[in-house]
Amino acid sequence: MSYIIRRLLYAVLTFIGITIVVFVLLHAVPGDPITFYISSHMTHLSQASLDAIRHEYHLDQPLVTQYLYWVRGIVALDFGTSIADHRPVIDRILEKLPHTIELNVIAFILAAAIGVPIGLWSATRSGRPVERASAVLFFLLYSLPSFWVALLLMELFSVKLGVLPLFGMHSDDYLDLTTAQKIFDHTRHLFLPVITLSYAQLAIFARFSKSALTEVIGQDYITTARAKGVAPGRVVWTHAFRNALIPLITLLGLVIPYLLSGSIIVEDIFQWDGIGLLYFNSILARDYPTVLGLTVITAIVTLLASLFADMLYAFADPRIRFEART
Amino acid sequence: MWRRFRRSKLAVIALIYVAAVAIIAILAPRITRDPNAVDLASRLGPPSAAHPLGTDDLGRDVLARLVHGARVSLSVGFAATAIALVIGSFFGALAGYYGGAADWIVSRVIEVVLCFPFLLLVLAIVALFGPSFLTVLVALGATSWTSEARFIRGEFLRIREMDFAQAARASGARDARIIFRHLLPNALAPVLVSASFGVASAILVESALSFLGVGVPPPTPTWGNILATAEQHIDYAWWLVLFPGVAIFLTVAAFNIIGDRVRDALDPRSD
Repeated sequence: MSYIIRRLLYAVLTFIGITIVVFVLLHAVPGDPITFYISSHMTHLSQASLDAIRHEYHLDQPLVTQYLYWVRGIVALDFGTSIADHRPVIDRILEKLPHTIELNVIAFILAAAIGVPIGLWSATRSGRPVERASAVLFFLLYSLPSFWVALLLMELFSVKLGVLPLFGMHSDDYLDLTTAQKIFDHTRHLFLPVITLSYAQLAIFARFSKSALTEVIGQDYITTARAKGVAPGRVVWTHAFRNALIPLITLLGLVIPYLLSGSIIVEDIFQWDGIGLLYFNSILARDYPTVLGLTVITAIVTLLASLFADMLYAFADPRIRFEART
Repeated sequence: MWRRFRRSKLAVIALIYVAAVAIIAILAPRITRDPNAVDLASRLGPPSAAHPLGTDDLGRDVLARLVHGARVSLSVGFAATAIALVIGSFFGALAGYYGGAADWIVSRVIEVVLCFPFLLLVLAIVALFGPSFLTVLVALGATSWTSEARFIRGEFLRIREMDFAQAARASGARDARIIFRHLLPNALAPVLVSASFGVASAILVESALSFLGVGVPPPTPTWGNILATAEQHIDYAWWLVLFPGVAIFLTVAAFNIIGDRVRDALDPRSD
């Protein structure tokens, strides 16, 4: 159990690190943060009222005190109010979050369902032309810029063939549709963003699962199984396969920041109303409370995901727990 | 090393391609017309004899903009990777040479940086400090040094107890001298070549930033901002979509292939 406790302590340290990075970012910008909060809509304020606002937001306190106030806000999920519409940042984020989750969960499942089997299969064909060709193919897939792929898909399916909508989450007449039509309409809008999000992930999954299985196949107990005459197919599927899946757990933590980065581009191109689009629009509008709130939240989500993945890993692979004790 | 690298035809082609792009980028002003020459009479023209790759929405020659865009892509790619290497070498050397507490602290710092979605952090830095060539470089360099740091750390762990390092220590050299004069040059060579991945990723992110309109500001031609124009005319101007995308893809793929091949060539197990 000491491993889990140590891992939790590290997570707390990482959380403090995340907040320090964002706090430093906030304060490294010329001018003090209050100018972000007021300049856009209250230009006529007197020096006295500016001072009053500074006092209210603790900006007249030493930096360390300011930092503690700010972290206390974050722990209570209080990220301040947006400059764009004066609503709490957390409300705006929670409102858009389901759309991003929908897109990413579908893309994630699709990429895993296709990528992992291909990766495992190509590991069993190690050194053959088909394996080398697929390795190159995944490399090329991984090098394709997602915004270009999105444009090509739009060009092909929306402009040339006219079978799928260019962008948006649903058609203009969405509210007049029956439930079945609504589902159909929404699914049509899902196609292109999901493909754009999943193709590069698919390459990651395939490469990762391939190297995991290749690693396992090189172990002594596989050689032992082969030596005592276990059929080759059985060696791979019952002896190697299960152990190769364990490292895939770590992908859970690794892939989330990658997904969120991808969401910004994909949601912007397809005008998908999730947190990626919110983030980008907030950047353009210089809505710093929303930008920094989302930066902190996504980092914490990543932290929790990798913590969860490590816990799962320790649970699935007892060696981790034992190694920690020695 | 080179002998093993050469064994992959694909990697050799990639290397030749990168060299060709670099030469074209350096010679850009001599071999093409002015990339910013506006000609409203021939706007959004498809590929023709006068404009082999067509024109954009202001009648600017796409070929000239692509060739000049290579300068931005390559210089951002190399410079951002150089920054990442400097930061990464510093932290990696500290962690690998001293071990113990230094190693522990550097590991925690890397964990923190890896928690931020890469593009989010880059966008935040660029947005806070205003988009410019320099901000893009700093944002990319400051966020992508972690893999270099881990690489250097590993190399340091491997070589710090070797005879030449022990000899330097025995002769009374100070830590800084041992690190910078003796260990770093020996650790850097394999890291430098694998930085190929870093260049690929920097080029990809730079073009994404330009595409989103927060990269190197216009009118400087970049591959990303040609694609941003293409997005507005997607129903018509296919040449604006196709050519800059191919340029980004081939260049990123070339650097990735070189990095992959170098990694294999350095790995003694790959034989």
